[in-house]
Amino acid sequence: MRKKELKLIVTFHTTADAMAMEKACRSKDVPGRLIPVPREISAGCGLAWCALPDQRESLLSVMAENGIEQEDLHEIIF
Amino acid sequence: MNLSDSKKKLALAGAVCGIVAAALAYFGNPANMAFCIACFIRDTAGALGLHSTETVQYVRPEIIGLVLGAFLISAVTKEYRSTAGSSPMTRFVLGMILAIGSLVFLGCPLRMIIRMSAGDLNAWVALIGFVLGVGTGVFALKKGFSLGRAHLAGRMSGAVLSVLLLGVLILSLATTLLKASQSGPGSMHAPVLLSLAGGLVFGAFAQKSRMCFAGSIRDVILMRNFDLLTIIGSFFVVMLVYNIASGNFVPAFDTPGVIAHSEHLWNILGMYAVGFAAVLAGGCPLRQLILAGQGSSDSAVTVFGMLLGAALAHNLGLAASATAVNAETQEIVSGSVPLNGKIAVIICIAVCFIIGFGNKRTEGK
Repeated sequence: MRKKELKLIVTFHTTADAMAMEKACRSKDVPGRLIPVPREISAGCGLAWCALPDQRESLLSVMAENGIEQEDLHEIIF
Repeated sequence: MNLSDSKKKLALAGAVCGIVAAALAYFGNPANMAFCIACFIRDTAGALGLHSTETVQYVRPEIIGLVLGAFLISAVTKEYRSTAGSSPMTRFVLGMILAIGSLVFLGCPLRMIIRMSAGDLNAWVALIGFVLGVGTGVFALKKGFSLGRAHLAGRMSGAVLSVLLLGVLILSLATTLLKASQSGPGSMHAPVLLSLAGGLVFGAFAQKSRMCFAGSIRDVILMRNFDLLTIIGSFFVVMLVYNIASGNFVPAFDTPGVIAHSEHLWNILGMYAVGFAAVLAGGCPLRQLILAGQGSSDSAVTVFGMLLGAALAHNLGLAASATAVNAETQEIVSGSVPLNGKIAVIICIAVCFIIGFGNKRTEGK
């Protein structure tokens, strides 16, 4: 079973933004993965980007470079 | 209560919804239908006089209960969010496709699972189309499909559908204005209060668990995530147990009386359109009702699209007929999809491709 630990979860306004985030992070070798938005964050059924909290700066930089706007950033045990 | 923090709780939510569906089937809903969003929206459209097929007209309290259940639980748990503005007319068209595709197959994804649990092999065939449709939708997502973001809207906007449906419920209980079938599937129903209570419970659990038939397969294909599929799995198991215990489990194709047909290609293509449209719209017909209940005007518009699509499916002769027994000769008469229905499904699929690959994400929007 996957170990739960503190994660940085980036949520987006659209599923397409989340998909664009995955593509951008893959091309820049920024670690993380696409996940369904955790239920405690939203009642919606979109996608989110899950990474370790120490990746915050690289994630913000990837988003800025690629014109990806986040809805919110959350640090939760996931 | 968080129903999503473990697979056991998700399975519990699916089981509760399965028990509700089984109870409604036991207490009078049509055999092998129990709880079908497309069929029940079609019946409600008929009750409102939007189509004139006399055998499928009845205000289904389950539909009203689903929306009100999601509305109430989201309001109580502070998850109600009034949003709007994500390509509403495109969503309206996707809603029409969801209804037309479903009525060519004779059931929404929820009923597909119920039919599968009763041994209806046609539904297992249709599952192939549904999975392929969801897969095509996922491919469109990977290619950058987007209908744009929704924005926060006036607080009352998100509650309009709930209030309208409450009005329809009152009209159906207190007046004789609305139509009600005297024979056929529309005449078969559980007691009104039980149907309403069933809808409310189903709606609340579906809102908390985010139950979605298209979403469950989307998540498996896209992220190898089985959370939502766990809900569907436990729902299926409960219905399977009910059908075996009640003697309704008949593993066959041409079973008369279960409101199904065996035109395999059109079962596949009907549900292909539904799976594809559901991914583009961000949820299956059930999920659209739940999202509308928790405040999404975009999903409410999709629901109105389903209402019109269901009415057109009957007014224009698109809906399939079911396999039945001729009362005089006792011969089995195979159900079929009319030519108009076949043409409509092809148009629906073509429209899905246009929507899916013609609406691209733009940076920062």
